[in-house]
This record gives sequence, C-alpha cells and structure tokens, in this order.
Amino acid sequence: MALMTKEQYIESLRALKTQVYMFGEKVENWVDDPIIRPSINCMAMTYELAQQPEYEDLMTATSSLTGKKINRFAHLHQSTDDLRKKVKMQRLLGQKTASCFQRCVGMDAFNAVFSTTYEIDEKYGTHYHENFKKYAEYIQEKDFVVDGAMTDPKGDRGLAPHLQKDPDLFVRIVERREDGIVVCGAKAHQTGSINSHEHLIMPTISMTEADKDYAVSFAVPSDAEGVFMIYGRQSCDTRKLEKGTGIDVGNKQFGGQEALVVFDHVFVPNDRIFMCGEWDFSGMLVERFAGYHRQSYGGCKVGVGDVLIGAAAVAADYNGAAKASHIKDKLIEMTHLNETLYCCGIACSAEGYATKAGNYQIDLLLANVCKQNITRFPYEIVRLAEDIAGGLMVTMPSEADFTSDVKVPTKSEMTIGEYCRKYFKGNGDVPVENRQRIMRFIENLCLGAAAVGYRTESMHGAGSPQAQRIMIARQGNLAHKKELAKALAGIQE
Amino acid sequence: MRFGVKYCGGCNPRYQRGEFLKMISRHFQNRVDFELAKEDTLYDGLLVLGGCSNCCPDYRHFQTKTPPILVWDQDHFNQVTSQIESRLAKAREK
Repeated sequence: MALMTKEQYIESLRALKTQVYMFGEKVENWVDDPIIRPSINCMAMTYELAQQPEYEDLMTATSSLTGKKINRFAHLHQSTDDLRKKVKMQRLLGQKTASCFQRCVGMDAFNAVFSTTYEIDEKYGTHYHENFKKYAEYIQEKDFVVDGAMTDPKGDRGLAPHLQKDPDLFVRIVERREDGIVVCGAKAHQTGSINSHEHLIMPTISMTEADKDYAVSFAVPSDAEGVFMIYGRQSCDTRKLEKGTGIDVGNKQFGGQEALVVFDHVFVPNDRIFMCGEWDFSGMLVERFAGYHRQSYGGCKVGVGDVLIGAAAVAADYNGAAKASHIKDKLIEMTHLNETLYCCGIACSAEGYATKAGNYQIDLLLANVCKQNITRFPYEIVRLAEDIAGGLMVTMPSEADFTSDVKVPTKSEMTIGEYCRKYFKGNGDVPVENRQRIMRFIENLCLGAAAVGYRTESMHGAGSPQAQRIMIARQGNLAHKKELAKALAGIQE
Repeated sequence: MRFGVKYCGGCNPRYQRGEFLKMISRHFQNRVDFELAKEDTLYDGLLVLGGCSNCCPDYRHFQTKTPPILVWDQDHFNQVTSQIESRLAKAREK
C-alpha cells in the first residue's frame, strides 16, 4: 500500500492503542472525540489531496528508495525542485485547512535523520543509516504519519541536560541492552503526535560528551509500551463540545493539535536506533531538522495567510466597506507580507544543496531568515485582519442567540433571534448568517483555536526567534561584508 | 486523437484548471479524448495545466508524439484550441 485514502488513514488510527489523556481523564475513543477530531480531519487532508489529479504533482513523489509513488510527506528530497514543491504543497494544505496540518515535522525529521546518520556512520562505522533506510522504506510503503519529535521540556534553560535536577527533562538512555536501549523523558509541544502512527525522536540541542546519554535518536510506534500523550488545550476549545455551535467554532472541520508525549521506560530495538551516544552529531541533526522546519513555515503559514486575507476581504464586502481605499490598501499590505514569506520559502529551497547522503538540504541562512519573518508577519497580518473585520468578531452574540425564539417583553414583541438578525445585518444583500460565519472564522484564526497554529506556533515552532538570530549571525558572512566595505572605501590594513 | 493531461499541484492557481479542461473537452467533443496522463502510454499530444506562469509540473516522463501544450492562464483557451485544431488538420491530411 503506497498511498492510503483518507478513510483508510482514519481507520488505521483506530487500530492503534495510543494512550491519550485530556482534561485529567483517559480518552478511550480519541479518533471520534469532538475536540481531537478536527485535527485528524486536517491530517486526513494530506491523504485526500494525494488521491486527486489536480494536486498529485505536489502531493506525491517517486521514492528514491523504491521507485514507487509515495506521499511527498514521506519523501527524501532529491533536488531543489523537490524542495520547492514541498513548500508549494504546504501552501496548498494551509489553504485547504486554514490550520496546522501537522505532517511536516515527520517529513523534516526524515530528511534530517537520513543525512545525519550517513555522516555518523562515516565517522564511527556504525549502521544507523542502513537502519534508517529500512525504516524509511517501511514508512513509505505503509504511508504512515511520523511525528518528528525534537523539543524536550528542557527544565532549567541555563543547565545542560546532565546537570538538570530531574534527569528526565531531556529524553535519555537509561539502560543499554544487547537487543536495544531503554529510554525515559518527554517531548513537549508535539504537533500531530496523537494522529501519528510513529514517533521519530531526535535530540533537541548541541551536546557535549557529558550529555552523551541524551544524544539519542530512534523510532517507536505511537502505541509502544510506556508511551502516552497529554493533549494540549487550545483557546476556545470547549466550544466544540457545545450543542448548536457550528458557527461559533469558526472552523468546525479542521484544526491543529499539540501534546506532551511521555516516554516512561520505553524499549527501542537496535534496528530502530539512529543515534546512540554520538553527542558530536546532535548539533548537526538539530541544525538540519530546524533548517527544514524553518523552510516549511514559508509554505504552511502562507497558505493559512491566503485564507485569512480572503476572509478579511469577505468581511469587508459584508460590512459594506470593500470600496474604502484604506481597506484595499490593508489587503495589499497583507498580501505583500504573505508573499514575502513565500519568497523566503522558495528562495531557501532554490538555493538548496545535496548532502553527502544524497538528499537535498535547504540553504540554512535563507531558511532562518524565512522563519525570523514568520515570527513577525503573521502577527501583522492578524492585526490587519482584525482591523478590517471590526470589533464584531469578538463581541457578537452566540449562535444560540441568533436562533433564539425567546420573546423579549417589549413593545415590538420580537424574539432575541429577531433582534440579533436585525442589528447585525451588514451589507443589504448578505444574509446575517454569512456575516456571523466569516466573523467567527476570523476570530478562530486570530485568537481562537487556530491561533495556536497561526500565531504562537509562528513565534516558537521550529525554534523561537533568538534561535534564528544565532543562526543568522553564524551564517551571515559578516567578515565578507566588512571586506567589501573596506575595499570600496580604499582601506588597506 | 488522444491527449494526456497533466495538472500542476495547484498551490496558488490563478484560474480553475478543472473547469478549463472541461471547456477544452467540450470544444473537442467526439474529436479528441482527454485523459489523465499515464507514464506507459504514448499520446498524440500532452496538455499541461499550470496554475500560474511558473507552470511547474514535471511532465518530461510522459510520452507524446507532438510537443506538449503548456497552459497557465484561462486566456490561453483560443491559443490552445487553435493549436489542437491545426494538429487535427495535419492528422487528417496524413
């Protein structure tokens, strides 16, 4: 099975025994849970579009390992064209879901682990690359979702992993056995972890020899013994539990998902280990994964931005303000910002290069510039969307009020619903319900459940802003710039 | 005549590529068959439907007797139909 359908994907999740906790309770049927399900629908879109001729050029690729047609999310990039198509695919999925569709972390981990294991083996004569190739073939053949898990809880940020009071604050090896290793620890903020068939674990920072038990990379099934997840709640999440609130939810069908994934004495067999103590390669793995993931945001957030720009324009139409010059100018500004982000995603892809292992890596400087812009521009796009939409997006009564037949004891003898529909009418041609829908949709993206993905994930996902600034300082080639200035200024030293 | 059709991935299309194909198919009804291009088939022609001027789909692996026709704007309709008409005319001459 090289390509699963959307339906097969959802059924495959039911076959897993993934342990999920939410609101202090174990969730037995998490596939159909109303809070979790929109994020599953989102992931399912990566399967659905791969089946459609109009999207398959971006959604699928030919495997470099087997020659078979596979989902691009399981692909090892073979050219700069592949890197560009990755960004375009992410933009497409952002447009179709207006959410974080969660499958990118696995793709980015795949490519980073593939090239890093090659170089570890080259230095140490280990067999991690062969292990990983077999694992990659398995994932491609099954068309599985992989959670690329990097971020540890980290505890005291001023202390190295081995100096933490609680040694489990970074994932670590607690036992080395003949047939494998046993690990403990946790990964935080794990996007799409519950919806994933597998977890691919990587270290989260550069390490020293003293941290070698923390320099570990491996893969386990999401339902492996000792693995469990605690669901991260989102702004306005319980609206999904209320009856008759399809409009109030904003985006009923799709959403993102993050969880804390705990590894409590989890056994990893030898053939699923991709790094085990080679501390001097942890930095390479982190840098490569982060580079890919910073590129990713130049696609996915742009796709969501496309939808938000469209939503703001629709709100302007419904408000009767579309012809105002300042509204038009704000929409232009939003588009300018959004396409600037896309430029960065495409640029770091076009300037990619082949690694020793043969897959393609993005240009690190440009990918970091891409992500640095992502930490800012979606916030400005949101600000402009709120400006255009107006205060109604946060002050509008509930859907239940709009449909209420409770009569108000007034002279008019109108119902609450009639009052709502009377006073929230905008542009005369537009049904009030449409106005409700677009306002709630904008609310969802700007400060509701989807803001997790569009705002704070833009800030901290793939590394917080300072992480990119460190990389920009390293990659910026300042010495060359100084030489250029000295040469033109006639300075000889 | 048999044409293969290859779509781009549609990340930011400037027009409805599916609708464009329907219009082309209607125009050549009973004269040209359009189908999603397959790698193991030799086509009389290949229609590549890009969503923008980048027209990025990879179509080099498809086999076609005549050069591919690239589309990235719905205004290409007349151009495309005249190109296919002239290929039909040449085929009749043979």
